[in-house]
Amino acid sequence: MLEGAEFYFNVDHGYLEGLVRGCKASLLTQQDYINLVQCETLEDVKIHLQTTDYGNFLANQTNPLTVSKIDTEMRKKLCREFEYFRNHSLEPLSTFFTYMTCSYMIDNVILLMNGALQKKSVKEILVKCHPLGRFTEMEAVNIAETPSDLFNAVLVETPLAPFFQDCMSENTLDELNIELLRNKLYKSYLEAFYKFCKNHGDVTAEIMCPILEFEADRRAFIITLNSFGTELSKDDRETLYPTCGKLYPEGLRLLAQAEDFDQMRRVADHYGVYKPLFEAVGDGSGGKTLEDVFYEREVQMNVLAFNRQFHYGVFYAYTKLKEQEMRNIVWIAECISQRHRTKINSYIPIL
Amino acid sequence: MGSLFRSETMCLAQLFLQSGTAYECLSALGEKGLVQFRDLNQNVSSFQRKFVGEVKRCEELERILAYLVQEINRADIPLPEGETSPPAPPLKQVLEMQEQLQKLEVELREVTKNKEKLRKNLLELIEYTHMLRVTKTFVKRNVEFEPTYEEFPPLENDSLLDYSCMQRLGAKLGFVSGLINQGKVEAFEKMLWRVCKGYTIVTYAELDEPLEDPETGEVIKWYVFLISFWGEQIGHKVKKICDCYHCHVYPYPNTAEERKEIQEGLNTRIQDLYTVLHKTEDYLRQVLCKAAESVYSHVIQVKKMKAIYHMLNMCSFDVTNKCLIAEVWCPEADLHELRRALEEGSRESGATIPSFMNTIPTKETPPTLIRTNKFTEGFQNIVDAYGVGSYREVNPALFTIITFPFLFAVMFGDFGHGFVMFLFALLLVLNENHPRLNQSQEIMRMFFNGRYILLLMGLFSVYTGLIYNDCFSKSVNLFGSGWSVSAMYSSSHTPAEQKKMGLWNDSVVRHNRVLQLDPSIPGVFQGPYPLGIDPIWNLATNRLTFLNSFKMKMSVILGIIHMTFGVILGIFNHLHFRKKFNIYLVSVPELLFMLCIFGYLIFMIVYKWLVYSAETSRVAPSILIEFINMFLFPASETNGLYSGQSGYTLVRKDSEEEVSLLGSQDIEEGNNQIEDGYREMMCEEFNFGEILMTQVIHSIEYCLGCISNTASYLRLWALSLAHAQLSDVLWTMLVRVGLRVDTTYGVLLLLPVIALFAVLTIFILLIMEGLSAFLHAIRLHWVEFQNKFYVGAGTKFVPFSFRLLSSKFSDDVA
Repeated sequence: MLEGAEFYFNVDHGYLEGLVRGCKASLLTQQDYINLVQCETLEDVKIHLQTTDYGNFLANQTNPLTVSKIDTEMRKKLCREFEYFRNHSLEPLSTFFTYMTCSYMIDNVILLMNGALQKKSVKEILVKCHPLGRFTEMEAVNIAETPSDLFNAVLVETPLAPFFQDCMSENTLDELNIELLRNKLYKSYLEAFYKFCKNHGDVTAEIMCPILEFEADRRAFIITLNSFGTELSKDDRETLYPTCGKLYPEGLRLLAQAEDFDQMRRVADHYGVYKPLFEAVGDGSGGKTLEDVFYEREVQMNVLAFNRQFHYGVFYAYTKLKEQEMRNIVWIAECISQRHRTKINSYIPIL
Repeated sequence: MGSLFRSETMCLAQLFLQSGTAYECLSALGEKGLVQFRDLNQNVSSFQRKFVGEVKRCEELERILAYLVQEINRADIPLPEGETSPPAPPLKQVLEMQEQLQKLEVELREVTKNKEKLRKNLLELIEYTHMLRVTKTFVKRNVEFEPTYEEFPPLENDSLLDYSCMQRLGAKLGFVSGLINQGKVEAFEKMLWRVCKGYTIVTYAELDEPLEDPETGEVIKWYVFLISFWGEQIGHKVKKICDCYHCHVYPYPNTAEERKEIQEGLNTRIQDLYTVLHKTEDYLRQVLCKAAESVYSHVIQVKKMKAIYHMLNMCSFDVTNKCLIAEVWCPEADLHELRRALEEGSRESGATIPSFMNTIPTKETPPTLIRTNKFTEGFQNIVDAYGVGSYREVNPALFTIITFPFLFAVMFGDFGHGFVMFLFALLLVLNENHPRLNQSQEIMRMFFNGRYILLLMGLFSVYTGLIYNDCFSKSVNLFGSGWSVSAMYSSSHTPAEQKKMGLWNDSVVRHNRVLQLDPSIPGVFQGPYPLGIDPIWNLATNRLTFLNSFKMKMSVILGIIHMTFGVILGIFNHLHFRKKFNIYLVSVPELLFMLCIFGYLIFMIVYKWLVYSAETSRVAPSILIEFINMFLFPASETNGLYSGQSGYTLVRKDSEEEVSLLGSQDIEEGNNQIEDGYREMMCEEFNFGEILMTQVIHSIEYCLGCISNTASYLRLWALSLAHAQLSDVLWTMLVRVGLRVDTTYGVLLLLPVIALFAVLTIFILLIMEGLSAFLHAIRLHWVEFQNKFYVGAGTKFVPFSFRLLSSKFSDDVA
């Protein structure tokens, strides 16, 4: 990319950037959340969402309304928007979009493989797949028995192919291996995406790199947290950490040695960014979970991405914010439908 | 009287609606469209309001109706659009209607589902037959190989395999056959190759006729494929891959007899299905036809019902919960209508206690209602596009009716073009009830809505065209020119005199390319042409100079009159709003400033026209220089227009300056006093500094504005000049060329030339030039005229009226 690319940015991507900023303005506001929380039934939620930018997206749903119906319709809406962006994008923005879909594709592949392992029918699982990560070869995933099979037969022509280089092995695909595969795929995906953004330079790199660094570190923390008490060895664990984060290399080495949450916290204390996050985590009973804290931090970074112009980060940030919004709505709707109102307020507010 | 001059007086009324009769009352009000409701529950979110359940029910009905309309459209049954709009359904009928619709929906869904199932079945069978037909050709080829294959094993039979083993091997040779979407063939084959590592043989052929895709309903091309493979494991994989690519797999018959049998069976089944499908379709059509009759009125009724409940949601309950209280804006003139509507509503529902209303005093600014008819509507729209007038302020639309077409015509002055435009508008006006015009496309609709504006613009253009004496850029000599060329040859003078007076003789005429008519010679100028510009100017080389001077002065005069009129209208505003001080302190100084500077300019122009004749024209001073000198050298010694001018100029100048300065200062102080007086009432914080600043800025803006606005009116001249020149160019480039060709070809040539001339005239001169003149006229009204008096900070009165609901199906479907 040339220096001073902002001069040319609008030629290719100006329309889409304008569009995505308009879309961002239609995210639910604090007032909307306050109103949503007051709803008594899912019908109320539907009526309230009608007054927002969602419009009557649920109008054609027959009664009774369920949370999953709301969720699928919202996903469809996001997907429509995303497809529109993607179809109107030019290089290198379209590559950027491809990178964005990759994470959903990885999730879908893993989901399908897990389903195949549990002998569930493909159709049943397809419904659960994220529409953003859908691709034709996806349904053939259960043919494969080893990762290299998977690569050679199914994924060789998909954008996921390059991430497979590190995970070719002849292991059979059992549950643990699938999980390892997911993490390895994710690691190389994040690294590749990071490299792409870094090479792109300009504002895109300035915005996207911190977001991806955070994403990588979050994965490292979560992997560590989830590996406590499993048979995963410490060396194996270290191979799963994405190396494009701020924790690389010392932090990751320390994390690999961590044995419980307190040790993990001590690692985080070395980093100014993560120290406050871990401090915000409540213990046991009330308070926020580590996951929520990470989500909040992510939302914050994504919102800030809109403060700069002429970069691709807005598309990433918009999609992530919209996803968070959908998670919030689903959370509220679940709380309402299960009459479990005490926790209804623990959605992640989008600033 | 005066309903167009000012908006109507409004009053705030409180309606007490008995909860049993509220629905009927609102229905009656909605039919009449008298009042605008105020939202009394602004703080209540939409799902916590009182009638949310009813709104939900309406939405459910709408959903069903939308489904019905969609199905009816799909079956290509015409939807009758009734002319009359049925009233909102009485509450008792609503349940009945809902039940009826729900029943219809269930029935319809079932029938459609059956139909879809049958269709799908049929499609599958058809696909199967196609597949069988096509794979036959594959097999023929296979048959050729079969002998070799069968011969092949016996060679190794002795050494490696016994016969039974071979049989088992043969049994494991499996076939999968089916249809695949055209776009997926390549990827499918690749995947097969990769997964099965070449242990499969794929043959495929394109199906010649496109079939429907059962998932999307699209008609697309398909490929028939046949995969032969060895081994069960690979078979599983192949099947999975087929699933993945959404192939339609059908069992593959092993022998020719089997194939024949299946084919025959399929044919009979297809025929059976066809008959069943036809019957189902007929039945479906019947159901839909019956539904189509009533669907229009249902759609309207549900819309009305929903609107009523939305309005009821804006009402608040009284303490006893028996009565709904609504606050409405209503024009005072319509109050008795409102009472009658309430009575009607109560009577209809048979309530014992009637609903009633009373007016309540308010300090809030009511919405603006200006009643228009089809003639004034267009002009009111022009004004409203700038800003809806504040309550009870002078409405410029009344004057726009005349001034707008007039200013347009000044720029568009051409008799012929104006007449064409007039005819077009007349056509629209005469056929305004024609249904096709009412439903026409966007651009045509724009013209249609502005038909009366166009009509007046055309008429006025005819008038100004006569004044400019322009008809397709040619002058018309109706009354005979006032100039006489023969008088220049006058022989009653001696040659010496002739020379001195510049009279013509043969040698002069022969040797000069340009000859000058001198109006000071007796008999040459016999007096002005009775109407407009003398056609002889058309021949003159200095025609443009003459017209420019004329049009420029004319546009300045028109502009200043227009603006002065605006300032005077401001006085009416001040009178109405009881701000007398504003007349003395704002309007009068403004008028003085305007008249003393620009009014004086007009005076000079007219004076010069009247006083200087052809004989004295050489000593006439330039108005521009006089005007500039008036500012720069108040006491300079120039030969002025008239004696004693310098004295006047000095006095006028001084007094003028003082007045304007004083005026602006007074405005500030004056306004302060008033604001003081109002302080208790308005409860607004009084801020001297702020008002001072606004007033200073306002006075400066006005003074500068007068100058720039006057200059802005010169666009009248510029556009009229451009229009005249453009039509002239068109004439010389086209028609004159056509007319010059000699007679034999000329007639033939003239036809296309005239056609081209007509087309270009319409598109460039009428539409393009007309549009630009229209825009400039709008600007002159919005900026130069209306900023003298018009605030335009009102809100429009939007009555609750069923007529505003759209009565189209298209909205439902979308």
